Amino acid sequence: MTLKHIANGPLVNRISRFTGLVTLAACMAASTNALADHSDRNPNVSEVKAWDTVKVSRIPDGIYLRTQNDPDDLIWDRLPKYRTNLLPAPPVHQSVGLRFEEGSTRGKHIYFQVARSDERLYIRMHWKDPTEDRATTVDKFGDGVAVQFALNDADTSYMMGSGHENPVNIWYWRAGEPQVENLVAGGYGSTTSLPQQSVHGGSAYFTSDVPEKREWQVVMSRPFESDGEHEVNFDRETVPMGFAIWQGSDNERDGNKRVTHTWILLDTRLDGNAPN
Amino acid sequence: MTVKRQLSMVLDLNKCIGCHTCSAACKLMWTNRNGREFMYWNNVESQPGKGYPRDYENMGGGFDADGALRLGRQPSQEDYGIPWEYNYEDALMTGTDPWLRPNVKPTWGANWDEDEGEGDYPNSYYFYLPRLCNHCANPACLAACTRNAIYKRQEDGIVLVDQERCRGYRYCVNACPYKKIYFNEEISKSEKCIFCYPRIEKGLPTACAQQCVGRIRWIGYRDDEDGPIHKLVEKYKVALPLHAEWGTEPNVFYVPPLSPPKFGENGEQLDESRIPLSYLESLFGPRTGEVLDTLQEARQAKADGEGSELMDILIGYKHAEMFKLS
Repeated sequence: MTLKHIANGPLVNRISRFTGLVTLAACMAASTNALADHSDRNPNVSEVKAWDTVKVSRIPDGIYLRTQNDPDDLIWDRLPKYRTNLLPAPPVHQSVGLRFEEGSTRGKHIYFQVARSDERLYIRMHWKDPTEDRATTVDKFGDGVAVQFALNDADTSYMMGSGHENPVNIWYWRAGEPQVENLVAGGYGSTTSLPQQSVHGGSAYFTSDVPEKREWQVVMSRPFESDGEHEVNFDRETVPMGFAIWQGSDNERDGNKRVTHTWILLDTRLDGNAPN
Repeated sequence: MTVKRQLSMVLDLNKCIGCHTCSAACKLMWTNRNGREFMYWNNVESQPGKGYPRDYENMGGGFDADGALRLGRQPSQEDYGIPWEYNYEDALMTGTDPWLRPNVKPTWGANWDEDEGEGDYPNSYYFYLPRLCNHCANPACLAACTRNAIYKRQEDGIVLVDQERCRGYRYCVNACPYKKIYFNEEISKSEKCIFCYPRIEKGLPTACAQQCVGRIRWIGYRDDEDGPIHKLVEKYKVALPLHAEWGTEPNVFYVPPLSPPKFGENGEQLDESRIPLSYLESLFGPRTGEVLDTLQEARQAKADGEGSELMDILIGYKHAEMFKLS
């Protein structure tokens, strides 16, 4: 099903009308989960590699989102989904290298969708996680996910940016925290919280009797227009984008994480033209 | 790491009576609130014992012989002890609860093994070991921080965590072999002893030293040749760092404890101290025996009326002489 079908067809009305039908929503979510387990066989999930370009999906003006950042909203079942492989981030500090848990040495898939309306840009991510690590305590680390955007060109280092001339804007969600944090970084150790916390989000953990099926779903969104020099500007041809996941049960934090190596390019234009 | 001046503390374990007034002073001043309740920036533990947090000496951290940062273990909340509170109001005031009881079941705490020590009567022994951040010359916490959030002040060598930069990664907690840096769950940042720097800046000693009933603590700069630290550490060489082998070069020093002789099978006094020298050496290093001999000699000289500058310093007649902060 193409985006046009969603925008013009009867499905839009169905989505709007069915918002109260929790049972249906649950069924849909369950079927999504089942599909995600075999996503290599799922034609609706496209494998994305470094330097591939993904195109933003349109959320038509008529679509009503029950909750702005609901990761389980029906709309997400109707938008193209991508999958990419995250690998352990190369350690850039001795503390990180000394503290890789066995699980942290393995790769991990993240599934993501990018959508926008005229006003807002949304990213939804989900990934398998058999343990729900919400608490950040004296001896426990919380699960987390982040999206990173290069403020300038794709020659910016994917590892937290290249100095203050070529910084990255990071949207960082951590389980148990009320808000997605809007960060900027220009190299290792320079991550800084921005004065304008304009990124909002929502999350849900979907549990199952089968640990391998349990997963986190997170949505982050921000007004399409950027506010301030360190917020990523989406109003350009392509935006270099990367992901990171922290697995709390593997004591992952900081540079101890799994990331996309180099960039995925995000085409945020709505005109339907293929990127050059 | 070179700093212009280094503030330092010496503690005489021969004088510590284990009253915990130092810990109470510190707690009241800094750690009885806002997620710090479980923290003892200053604590007093019975040794031999598991210490605080429990078994910290075996958690790793610090540096190896080649100077490389070593992996350390993260203490659990249980290792620190889960702070509990009593229902004083209900049990003692309103009478709505017949029992005075803690709100969590206590299973371990900072002084769970207090006064247990080692050995069998009449040769049982223990002593008190007050511990605080060592404000090391080579701080493992600083080396481990990926955020450059930990720094050592040039003017006095005090090691601090920049709360603006800290993002709660806890590498510092892993890396400090003394486990004197703590994670605050309420703010998701790490915190530690600040050597009462707001007091120091006003010319006042730390709260733990000011309040010490046994007058066991001296504070001063390492380079002040007329000050107590230089005399105890450099001139008389009777103050030793705890676990120097961990490689962090502590700036807190201890005068090791003498102990009465051990009893033989028939109640005779043996030519052996009650606290085994080997045990003290495991804490304070190979010079411990030499230090104990120096202390014995100075003590005897004082007793014989010959006078001893070392003994006069250790007695600590005046606070003004014990704390030299300029």
